[in-house]
Amino acid sequence: MPVADPPKTEYLFSIYGTPVRYITASSHLAAPVEELLRHFRRDAIEETTSLDVQFYAAQDRSEIPLALSHSVRHLVSRTDVAAEGGQKDDWPYVVSQDGGRLLIDFADAGVFVIDGASGRAEGYLLKPERMSDNLIEYLFHLTLIELLRHQRLYTIHATALEWQGRGVLIPGNSGRGKTTSFISLLRAGYRYLSDDHPLIRDAGGHIELLSFPIKINVTDETIAFFPELRNAPEQVLQRQPGFHKRGFYAEEVYSAGIGTCCKPALVLFPQVVDAPQSHLERISRSRALELVLPQALLVYDQEVARREFQVLTKLVQQVDCYRLHFGRDILDLPKLVTPLLEQVC
Amino acid sequence: MSEPSLPSALPPIPPTIADQAMGARTVLRQSPDVQGTTMDGETVLLDLSSGRYYTLNRVGSIIWEQCTGDKTISDIQAILCDRFDVAPERALDDLVTLVNDLTQEGLLQQERR
Repeated sequence: MPVADPPKTEYLFSIYGTPVRYITASSHLAAPVEELLRHFRRDAIEETTSLDVQFYAAQDRSEIPLALSHSVRHLVSRTDVAAEGGQKDDWPYVVSQDGGRLLIDFADAGVFVIDGASGRAEGYLLKPERMSDNLIEYLFHLTLIELLRHQRLYTIHATALEWQGRGVLIPGNSGRGKTTSFISLLRAGYRYLSDDHPLIRDAGGHIELLSFPIKINVTDETIAFFPELRNAPEQVLQRQPGFHKRGFYAEEVYSAGIGTCCKPALVLFPQVVDAPQSHLERISRSRALELVLPQALLVYDQEVARREFQVLTKLVQQVDCYRLHFGRDILDLPKLVTPLLEQVC
Repeated sequence: MSEPSLPSALPPIPPTIADQAMGARTVLRQSPDVQGTTMDGETVLLDLSSGRYYTLNRVGSIIWEQCTGDKTISDIQAILCDRFDVAPERALDDLVTLVNDLTQEGLLQQERR
């Protein structure tokens, strides 16, 4: 049975003016993407300029109709992790370039072909009916990020909030207090922009921070810090099959809602410390750029990477940057951060 | 007492540009594959061909800024001696070390006149 069956359903979205058309014949592959982009759904889009993503279900790698040229070039890989039982961001992968196409091979999860210049991508997912929604979301999101990068919309691996029109970014790897500090600000009335994947773009005079609202994923350890999460009903703080974190929608727990486009004012780089009180340490812009780069920029296309580097440079020039030494006074973080935002015009 | 030293931005490797005559003939140019920005006196460089990035300290940044394809090593040595309280021989040693490191990383191109 060939995987390239005629696609049956298309799903339309618009992400900050960029139309996106997602096509799949598989219901397993449709639902997680609809969920991921629920704030961006549209009934109609301008199809001549849309980014097109097609995902196919395959049962075996031999069904994947992938023809590579002789010029295919290995870029980066991670093979030291086991796919079975692994978390979504621990999946082994090999990234290669074939002319203008980017090929991402996720071993037992599938293969993705992304042509950023033409705005098209195809994904061949192996046995998607056995995959968690979370993994399918992740694989789609990864594909989308690469396409959006060519449209000058860039993603940072950070949590993001808005407070009275001013944006706060908290970049960092897992385990550094990124989500915990983010929730501490969220419960103080900051508005939600994104857990992990806000977008930024160059608005000419300044960099804009754009919301990308997705489910907030939290560990049991994080939940324990916040009474409203500890006491949240199971249907709000949902367990996710195949994933060790529980997920909730910000708007179902916190009243401030989802923020709008704003100008980033503050970037906090968290680091958990064993101390009673948190404190902030101002860092230089060059150090901030050095810390932001691994959370954002991947060099696949040189011109795209050059533009993204310039946007990130502009971002750190625009904001104040601090190392957040995040102590045990987790619920008091707003007292440290809000005065800094009040000083920003 | 030792002479003041220019802090090197990258670990040193043995100099290959050993003498003044060669320094006067060697022009330095930033690789076109490198995107860089200088903020607060430090420079962050992104090598677009490898995806690797680097940070140069204050002195490294001054050296980098001078690598525009029209200055020789001797010219840059003179600029360093002018800006810092450093002996010419020490400035040359440190400059050559950094230049070789940057060249080895593919960030800098050397041309002989």
